Amino acid sequence: MDIRLRNIKKTYNSKTVLQIDSLKIKKGKITGILGPNGSGKTTMMKIIGDLIKPDTGRVEYDGKGFESASDRLTYVSHNSYLFNDSVFGNIAAPLKFRDMKKEYIEKRVEELIDNFQIRYLKYENALTLSGGEKQKVALARALSFKPEVLLIDEPTSNIDPNFIKLIESALKRINNDLKTTIVIVTHNTAQSLRLCEEIIFMRDGNVIQQTLTKNIVNSNDEFIKEFIELN
Amino acid sequence: MDYIIEGVKGAFKLILSLDKEIYSIVLLSIYVSFASTVISSLIGVPLGLVTGIKEFRGKRLLSKIYYTFMGLPPVVVGLVTVLIISRSGPLGTVGLIYTPTAMIIAQSLLVTPIITGIIFTNSKDTGLEIINICKTLGANKKHTFFKLIKELKPLILVATVTGFGRAISEVGAVMIVGGNIKGHTRVMTTFIAMSNSMGNYDTSIAMGIILLIISFSANSFLYNRTMGDSNGYKIKKY
Ligand SMILES: Nc1ncnc2c1ncn2[C@@H]1O[C@H](COP(=O)(O)OP(=O)(O)O)[C@@H](O)[C@H]1O
Ligand SMILES: [Mg+2]
Repeated sequence: MDIRLRNIKKTYNSKTVLQIDSLKIKKGKITGILGPNGSGKTTMMKIIGDLIKPDTGRVEYDGKGFESASDRLTYVSHNSYLFNDSVFGNIAAPLKFRDMKKEYIEKRVEELIDNFQIRYLKYENALTLSGGEKQKVALARALSFKPEVLLIDEPTSNIDPNFIKLIESALKRINNDLKTTIVIVTHNTAQSLRLCEEIIFMRDGNVIQQTLTKNIVNSNDEFIKEFIELN
Repeated sequence: MDYIIEGVKGAFKLILSLDKEIYSIVLLSIYVSFASTVISSLIGVPLGLVTGIKEFRGKRLLSKIYYTFMGLPPVVVGLVTVLIISRSGPLGTVGLIYTPTAMIIAQSLLVTPIITGIIFTNSKDTGLEIINICKTLGANKKHTFFKLIKELKPLILVATVTGFGRAISEVGAVMIVGGNIKGHTRVMTTFIAMSNSMGNYDTSIAMGIILLIISFSANSFLYNRTMGDSNGYKIKKY
């Protein structure tokens, strides 16, 4: 689905942390959100996921309100809450919410366990895992119900470099096969160049550039240039 | 000193004698406290969750009201219950005064704020996180509610066991509404108060020991159930 932000403003303690007059995130693409710490990336993602209410403005999902999109859109952060349950139980939860058949649930969870190479964790309690393992489980859980829109906030921040490739190819695959719209916040410019078709660059709560990835490296904005060189 | 040792000796004799009166008193205590804890949990757990997690105007005032009610003196609760169920009160026609039912009502009034308050104080952060994650995963209200209960099970157990402990060890309210009638409304605490005032130290010590054993069992159960949980948040009782 297309996502459109209109006149969004969010203020904490009289400090405006997000101000976006208009922004469109395109259906079926992988869009990267870049920007320094505190530039409002997480706030924007949570507003899109309806986890935070903006002070003004609204988000439209194919022109409609959040309710119309609520069970086709999901948000995963680098420290998503995991249920006090096995890895299997965690990944199966969204499917149980949707009253899927047991056989389908088993099959789908097995598939994800293989994709993310976490078979050795299948029966472990999710709360006992390491940070990186938890992130993989959270991502597998979010993908279990094949959402149309996947909002991910620094998904590889705790993950070993050799697994980052695995996650990136998983994201590419679902974008390609299922046409999942993916919005990904990342610190890592190289990662966004590998994955994203479009980049949204944020600074101090504003979108300062939205452009095709191939153009961002030629940006003539000094701030963006420096950010890209250093990250 | 001697009478204490004699008391403890007598206590064990009494416990081992399987005295019928003693055991029916113990059973009535457990029954009344258990029933009031169940009632209080059914009200207090959802109420504590909803008011604890949601943000709304007047929340600070509400928390002060909760804390006040958590510390109500049992005799006051007993008096209020008597006013409700006495002949001229709103439930007067039912004739509940000096019955186990009256004791259950009084203890429910006493324990509900305790369970509500403990849940209220401790559910906010984790509760909000659980609700949000359920939302992002497409859960409806029913599924979210059950997940909340399941994830917050250690907290709910702490609250209910604390409530049960308060109920079974309380004497003022059950004395006033139950009347300590032999074979009918006599429970462990009113028995202890009575035998002690009559100078029967051995029987009061015996009953005291049984009361401690029950408390210990309830808390061991709680410990075994919550220990393995790495969710292990720190739970404030007040
Ligand atoms: N709940 C909150 N209360 C107060 N300030 C907040 C809150 N959440 C975020 N902020 C502030 O909003 C700004 C943007 O935060 P965030 O969106 O998390 O940035 P980013 O994800 O880009 O690092 C930061 O200055 C942060 O301190
Ligand atoms: Mg962030």
